[in-house]
Amino acid sequence: MAVHFIDPKNASYFVEVLNNDPEFKIAARYMTKDACIEVGNIKCIVKFRDGVVTEIKSENAFADPWDFAIRGSEEAWEKFLQPIPPRFYDGIFGGMIRGNFVVEGDTISAFSHFWAITRMLDIFRELQNK
Amino acid sequence: MAIIEPIEGRYVYLTIQDVEYRVYYEESGKGIPIICQHSAGSLGLEWRHMLTDPEIISKYHVIVADLPYHGRSLPPESIEWWKEEYKLTKSFFMNFQLELSKALGLERPVYMGTATGGFLALNLALEYPSKFRAVIGVESALRAGPATLDIYYHPYIGNDYKRANSMYFSAPSNPEKYRRAITWVSMLTAPPATKGDMNYYFIEHDLTGKAHLIDTASCAVYLLTGEYDPTSSVEDTKMLAQQIKGAKFTEMKGMSHAGMAENPELFKTYLMPILKEIAKKQ
Repeated sequence: MAVHFIDPKNASYFVEVLNNDPEFKIAARYMTKDACIEVGNIKCIVKFRDGVVTEIKSENAFADPWDFAIRGSEEAWEKFLQPIPPRFYDGIFGGMIRGNFVVEGDTISAFSHFWAITRMLDIFRELQNK
Repeated sequence: MAIIEPIEGRYVYLTIQDVEYRVYYEESGKGIPIICQHSAGSLGLEWRHMLTDPEIISKYHVIVADLPYHGRSLPPESIEWWKEEYKLTKSFFMNFQLELSKALGLERPVYMGTATGGFLALNLALEYPSKFRAVIGVESALRAGPATLDIYYHPYIGNDYKRANSMYFSAPSNPEKYRRAITWVSMLTAPPATKGDMNYYFIEHDLTGKAHLIDTASCAVYLLTGEYDPTSSVEDTKMLAQQIKGAKFTEMKGMSHAGMAENPELFKTYLMPILKEIAKKQ
């Protein structure tokens, strides 16, 4: 299963969907950070500016800076993106506890904007299964 | 005709470890008393469906309190509580249940707790078996996994964190209306209380080497754990159950960490056989 949110062809559409999602707009308010969502060894940088996603970059992003990263294997993300994920892959925090995902870098920022991140990933799941 | 629920809410004054607390509690029903204890950083609202279920309250007296510093049970007025960080201790938590039961005149109630409250079920069965006819531990384990206390009360991390995180302590297949209600309830308790409760959950609770001392002939032990719970997994609870002779464990398929709140109808299908068995023993 290909992970759709790291496919550069989908980037602009995913940005549009995120910025038009009513819950995401509330959850991401005031957020100005670069979040790295890492799938195996592929980095996907999501840039937030004043609560708006300005770019999703997964092509040639290997040297780009980020504030915090959420890392998982390709297999872990594939499980996470299933319509009904299996246990320990249904949420990032639970997945962290069970060693399936890792949050690194400025973790205080990651957790202060956790609602935006979790809503974004839920939208990625919705788009994955559309 | 307006809908009026059968729940009655009152305040009771409890003296615990020489400090008086004004404690909010709700109750409904008649019959075998069941004290229901909420989880860390939460409040009695988690059990609201139990308090209104006609089948349950026709045979059981359901009592749900907000622990001091939670919900409508404010910090005590007789001490300068603001000069130290709130920390829930095992001794306070156990004494609270004993004092609540005594003040309300309950006769050997059933104790049922979830998560942090689920951990306490085993401590009560071990240390006060004569005070409870049975305990039901929801999401119980010998001990918790690695501690993550600071993120629950940090000046840069607001309530959005609890809101976001609590969503995923319910299983993905459960009704969104219940899952979203959990996220709101999670924000209703002051952040210091959440971190303080974790002192008991992550640090003080440890039944390693002690669980086998629980005597289920004196106090029956029932354990329920959700398939999806990442904190106290099914395997963690099985390990606990294996060490308590006579303990009964049931895995709750399609449930996670917030059982009675994430899908009350499904939770009831797991709970009723236990309540009926307890009633049959009377």
